[in-house]
Amino acid sequence: MSSVTEGADLPATDHPPTDLPPTEVSVAELPADDTPPRPEVRPPEVWRFATPARHTLSNGIELLSYDIPGQYVISVRTVLPFPLSVEPREVEGVASIMSRLLDEGTAEHSPEEFAELLERKGIALGASVTDGGLGVDLDVPKRRLGEALDLLRQALAEPVFPGPEVDRHRKTRLAQIEQERALAPQRAAQAFIATHFDETDRASRPTAGTTASITALTRQDIVDFHAERVGPTGMTAVIAGDLSGLDVADLAESTLGTWVSATHVPAAETIEPRRATDAARVVFVDRPGSVQSELLVGWTGPDRHAPGGWAAYPVLGFMVGGSPNARIDALLREEKGYTYGIRSVFRPRRVGGLFLTSGSVRADATVESVQLLLDLLASGRDGFRAEEVQAGVDFISKTAPGRFATADAVADEAVTMALDGLTTDFTTKTLEAMRELDGQQLTAAYRDWVQGEWTVVIVGDASTYAEGVRELGIGDVTVVPA
Amino acid sequence: MPLDYPIHEKTLANGLRVVVSPDASVPTVTVNIWVNVGSRHELAGRTGFAHLFEHLMFQGSRHIASGEHFTRLMAEGGRLNATTWFDRTNYFETVPKGAYELALWMEADRHGHLLDAVTQENLDNQRDVVKEEKRQRYDNVPYGTALIDVYAAVFPSGHPYHHPTIGSMEDLDAASLEDVHAFFRRYYGPNNSVLTLVGDLTADEGFAAAERYFGHLPASAEPARPPVAPLEPVSEPVRVDRPGNVPNDRMHIAFRLPVDNTDEFFAAGLAIDALGGLSTSRLVQRLVRREQVANAVQAHAMGFVDGVSLGFFVIDVADGQDPEAVEAAVVEELERFAVEGPTEVEMESAMAQSERSWLSALAGQEERADLISQHVLLHGDGQFVNTFLDRIAEVGVEDVRAAAARWLRPDGRVVVRHLAVADEEEVA
Repeated sequence: MSSVTEGADLPATDHPPTDLPPTEVSVAELPADDTPPRPEVRPPEVWRFATPARHTLSNGIELLSYDIPGQYVISVRTVLPFPLSVEPREVEGVASIMSRLLDEGTAEHSPEEFAELLERKGIALGASVTDGGLGVDLDVPKRRLGEALDLLRQALAEPVFPGPEVDRHRKTRLAQIEQERALAPQRAAQAFIATHFDETDRASRPTAGTTASITALTRQDIVDFHAERVGPTGMTAVIAGDLSGLDVADLAESTLGTWVSATHVPAAETIEPRRATDAARVVFVDRPGSVQSELLVGWTGPDRHAPGGWAAYPVLGFMVGGSPNARIDALLREEKGYTYGIRSVFRPRRVGGLFLTSGSVRADATVESVQLLLDLLASGRDGFRAEEVQAGVDFISKTAPGRFATADAVADEAVTMALDGLTTDFTTKTLEAMRELDGQQLTAAYRDWVQGEWTVVIVGDASTYAEGVRELGIGDVTVVPA
Repeated sequence: MPLDYPIHEKTLANGLRVVVSPDASVPTVTVNIWVNVGSRHELAGRTGFAHLFEHLMFQGSRHIASGEHFTRLMAEGGRLNATTWFDRTNYFETVPKGAYELALWMEADRHGHLLDAVTQENLDNQRDVVKEEKRQRYDNVPYGTALIDVYAAVFPSGHPYHHPTIGSMEDLDAASLEDVHAFFRRYYGPNNSVLTLVGDLTADEGFAAAERYFGHLPASAEPARPPVAPLEPVSEPVRVDRPGNVPNDRMHIAFRLPVDNTDEFFAAGLAIDALGGLSTSRLVQRLVRREQVANAVQAHAMGFVDGVSLGFFVIDVADGQDPEAVEAAVVEELERFAVEGPTEVEMESAMAQSERSWLSALAGQEERADLISQHVLLHGDGQFVNTFLDRIAEVGVEDVRAAAARWLRPDGRVVVRHLAVADEEEVA
């Protein structure tokens, strides 16, 4: 019933962080005091991701259920993979707007009735579309699971997309586009995809559509998209939580399992997005008077099916930009004080991926920070020290039990894998492979993807800093309005 | 559903309150420490200091090098951080079971012996980092300073909640090493803190480890001051306008609320949910769905301990709509609610959503430990995690109506408006 914001010490990270210099003080150096000796650490036992029970419902939905005792809120996740290229070009964003309308009126219930049913049962329902496809999620107290699954079926199978709700969600998206334009990280992301990907590729444009495409979108486009692209074939459903005393397969079969679609056309395979031929350049989004510059530096990266395996990349993202003492923040935050924190992450897509580094720096440190950041990114090609490697591997592998302790975290991981055609056995195998990595393998993996070419986006005061960035000689600099 | 998370409590001879809540479902232990100091304790001219100080807690102590908290514990598989808020500062890590004693040893070192390692260089560096945090989270974000305006208008000058936790640039500049020493001596010590351990350990193991690593520290903190006097609702409407370069008009409509952990606060919180916190709440139904004069409505209740709390609605005004008319509609709904009270369906919905969000909050060891520390430190109630749902279930329709009639009166509103200014006007 309440929500609190607070001043945290560290910015949030996609993947949690790692460390750098070993700075232990040996026991012999302790001054004479009553401090007890530094305790030894006992290594944790090897951990495996939980194994789900698997069922195929009569309509083809693959059901994965994870019984996690003590997790009294059940997390249900459904995913249906499709590439965004299935959207008609002139109404891009139709998938996203369709997803936002799934609970805004069904064959049985008006929008307000449906919302009331969800609220009274304590159900949180959400839907979204990514480059991998459609995801519809709900969280619900255990005793309400059956009712919740039936409401989920109605949302997926029987949405009616009432005209007034369509209009409202179109307007809301148009307002959201303006909000995103005003937020530096979102503005940077939009400039990045527009610069990095070929302009003919869907990946170069926002997932949820542009002002032009949303303005062109009609109710019929949404109805047609749902009929053609949303159905049980190819869908994975995950149910995670304390399932004791529940017959989950039966509950799912009697709800989600009854959904049939005569019109659904399973989607073609996703293909890798095309990079623009002039992707290696600098775009400076001009925000006059900005007190910080938002930096976003990226290039093509691997996906989870990368040759040589995926295990190296979470560790690499980490050693470079995953904590206050990773290479980037050790210099730009802890030594220079230019930033609250800059993060690097290898972000896999269904096919292909990105290696992204982002964060904001004090405005008058813009030019120097860009140069230092590119130097730090290049430094990984020269190798990683043994203690960096050990710390990175240990951090990611040893945090896994805690990161995947709750129903929602387990369910989220399971559907992330499902969207990629994988299971959480991949999560376990990645952690196993990670423990075997050495510095040479990590350096080789880094060199596979980092070769000195970058798409660089800066959102800041161009009139003051664009010339300095030009003088760095890191590529053509184009200034665009905010 | 009655909750029964095990709660074992003990106070060490030096005053450290220790709570152990065994949970063997995951082979990890969460170490969570709450210190009874936040921005409410800051003095004029030193706003933002409690948070800056928290950053220095990661820059080394008697036996620990600068940055080692992160490097060492992360390398052992720990996830850690700290936050500062009006009422308190917290420090926390979740580590594999075999590393929890190291985590306790490291926490005890900085909570007992920070000053051995604090340097001007570290202070200057973290001052710069905190300034960038302020710019990133507040100054370089549309509407980023809205809550700062809300605090300043809702709470009188000099009140503990009048200024934001992040503080001001000028005050951050003024912070000195002497301030760091004085602050640590006054507020940091086992007798002003709570240590909660949640995870794969027994109560005996947890208490023994707490004694082993914290037991030798002296009860060095000065006694906590009592809460300041309660505040009544604001007496007449206040408006703060911030015209600027924002995508659409946004209004924060804020109210004083009663202190946290009281039946009246819970009732006021349910009223705020029924009015704006649910997808079926009155303001959402009317402004967003039916009249479509707002893009979104959010509602929040922030519980505090110093004589007053804060509640507010955030309304994104739809393009082309008149914010005055939207505000008038809100006033109308507040007046109606104060007379009618919530419907049975609104009560049922607010309770059901409170139940799910509470169970979700308790699902992970980290947040469970944090909620235990909070209620032991600020309210002396170790069982709160188990009893909260029963307590709000006792709140009746008339309690919610009465709380709204007293605390959400339109006359007691503070409205902070960020109004979009057309580019042409800016140029002219």
